[in-house]
Amino acid sequence: MAVFFWEKIFIKIMTENNIVELASKNDPLVLDCGESLGPFKTAYTTYGTLNTNKNNAVLICHALTGDQYVASTHPITKKDGWWSEMVGPNNPIDTNKFFVICPNVIGGCMGSTGPKEINSDTNKEYGTEFPVITIADMVRAQKLLIDYLEIKKLFCVTGGSMGGMLVLEWLSKFPEMVLTAVPIATATNHSAQNIALNELARQAIMADPNWQSGSYYESESKPIKGLSVARMAAHISYLSKDALQNKFGRNLQDKNKLEYSFNADFQIESYLRHQGFSFVDRFDANSYLYITRAMDYFDITVNHKGSLIDAFKNTNSRVLCISFTSDWLYPTDENKKIVKVFNALGLNVSFIEIKSENGHDSFLMNEPKFFESIRGFLEASHKKL
Amino acid sequence: MSLINQKKDFKIISDLIPNGSTVIDVGCNDGSLLEYLNKEKNIEGRGMEIDQEKVRLCLSKGISVVEGDADLDLFDYPDDLFDFSILTYTLQATKSPKTVLTQLVRISKKSIISFPNFGHWLIGTSLLFKRKMPVSNRLSYSWHETPNLHFCTINDFIDLCEETNIKIEIKANLKNHKLSKFNGRSLLDSYFFEAGLFLVSKK
Repeated sequence: MAVFFWEKIFIKIMTENNIVELASKNDPLVLDCGESLGPFKTAYTTYGTLNTNKNNAVLICHALTGDQYVASTHPITKKDGWWSEMVGPNNPIDTNKFFVICPNVIGGCMGSTGPKEINSDTNKEYGTEFPVITIADMVRAQKLLIDYLEIKKLFCVTGGSMGGMLVLEWLSKFPEMVLTAVPIATATNHSAQNIALNELARQAIMADPNWQSGSYYESESKPIKGLSVARMAAHISYLSKDALQNKFGRNLQDKNKLEYSFNADFQIESYLRHQGFSFVDRFDANSYLYITRAMDYFDITVNHKGSLIDAFKNTNSRVLCISFTSDWLYPTDENKKIVKVFNALGLNVSFIEIKSENGHDSFLMNEPKFFESIRGFLEASHKKL
Repeated sequence: MSLINQKKDFKIISDLIPNGSTVIDVGCNDGSLLEYLNKEKNIEGRGMEIDQEKVRLCLSKGISVVEGDADLDLFDYPDDLFDFSILTYTLQATKSPKTVLTQLVRISKKSIISFPNFGHWLIGTSLLFKRKMPVSNRLSYSWHETPNLHFCTINDFIDLCEETNIKIEIKANLKNHKLSKFNGRSLLDSYFFEAGLFLVSKK
């Protein structure tokens, strides 16, 4: 316990929260939709120390509802970071060795420029005036952060789910800046089923009268009901049937018989309601719309005549792809497509499918074999530096 | 298999591979052959392994390895991607040796394949006199726990190569570890090869 306590203090000392302004009015970030952003803010955390050769930087890309608090206490929920067991001293992404950078994506709501931030042109929150962004735009923005940190080549870029899409975009767009990459539980494009689930979530938000076409920031009531339904729907897709069944089954919540009402009789109902309502404290409904849209638009081949080979033709990184057996949102065969194209290009690609019943959310959990794989891959690659 | 034998097997494979070749080891185990070849011949190596524990061992050694099944996943590689494909002691454990063999010669210019010879005279005696499935240094499993599905003899392998348009170039008996040119079937080989190693390519 004592060691744990000191490590927590150590992480605190070694962590830095930053917000940096990138691009400018004259030299803006040009987005896929044709509009421009500049200057824009990126909020990010760092852990560990950048070495003098600047070759130990690990960029961590968060998922849809993640943020920059990868391994430090979340300022709103006061919970540990979303990957606090993965990132830290002596953890698989070892901050004694690596300089970890985790930025909040543009369009997000934890300090980076997004719909809830003030538009300097109007002095009001962007709301739905915020331009529609893509995964590629997020990566272009991250690239400006890496340039700002004066890092020429990242030791590793990693992330799961949407984070994995960002990893793939890095490999395609800025291959010369990536030494190794670990895309986890992801895909080269969004399937019809994934678009459908996101659309369900967006419709839930937009059906909430408090959404007010996105201009709710000044008003007392925010679209929390819509957002929490969106989160509930998404949360089901992050788990597997077995995980839900084993954890909740048909167990009743604090009662021993059915109520014959629409209250939360079942534990699973109560759990989902809790997931929904606790989410709205830390997430902005408009950000949810924008980021899910970016994921739906994601197709790595879009500027490559539909060819995966063409999308990665300049990639020369060492890559480890990881999938989970019970993930039906980004299933193994979607991840294997990435392996197949890297094989076809003769790249240094590894692949492992982790057995887990925790569905898509497995990548956020301490699955020992998952952790060991990442540790082994990074340590071996670090020795080759 | 003893370590000494393994080392001799590695050496004979290494002797067949020129410096700097690209190599895929199918059923690469813990990656020790790829490591050996990397040290001896500076190869660019890739592995495929079905057992996840071993995949993780490979990862921690810095070997690029794909968790996969030789019966299913070789289809993912383009033609002639590698200079060499290697399949040691795995052919007899595949569901379809014919498919695997065909895929191996498709994805590489040359293939090195080794397998225990079920036609070896000692195996014959075990069956003939003891009426028991043979267990030896190269066939180390009891009949009820063996992962092996398709045992073959040297002559069966030669037949399969002929049938699938595969040319055998070099042979070796993994008893004495001597490489020699393949000049067609031989009665001696079929009796005395404890395990055979062959260098093959498409015709």
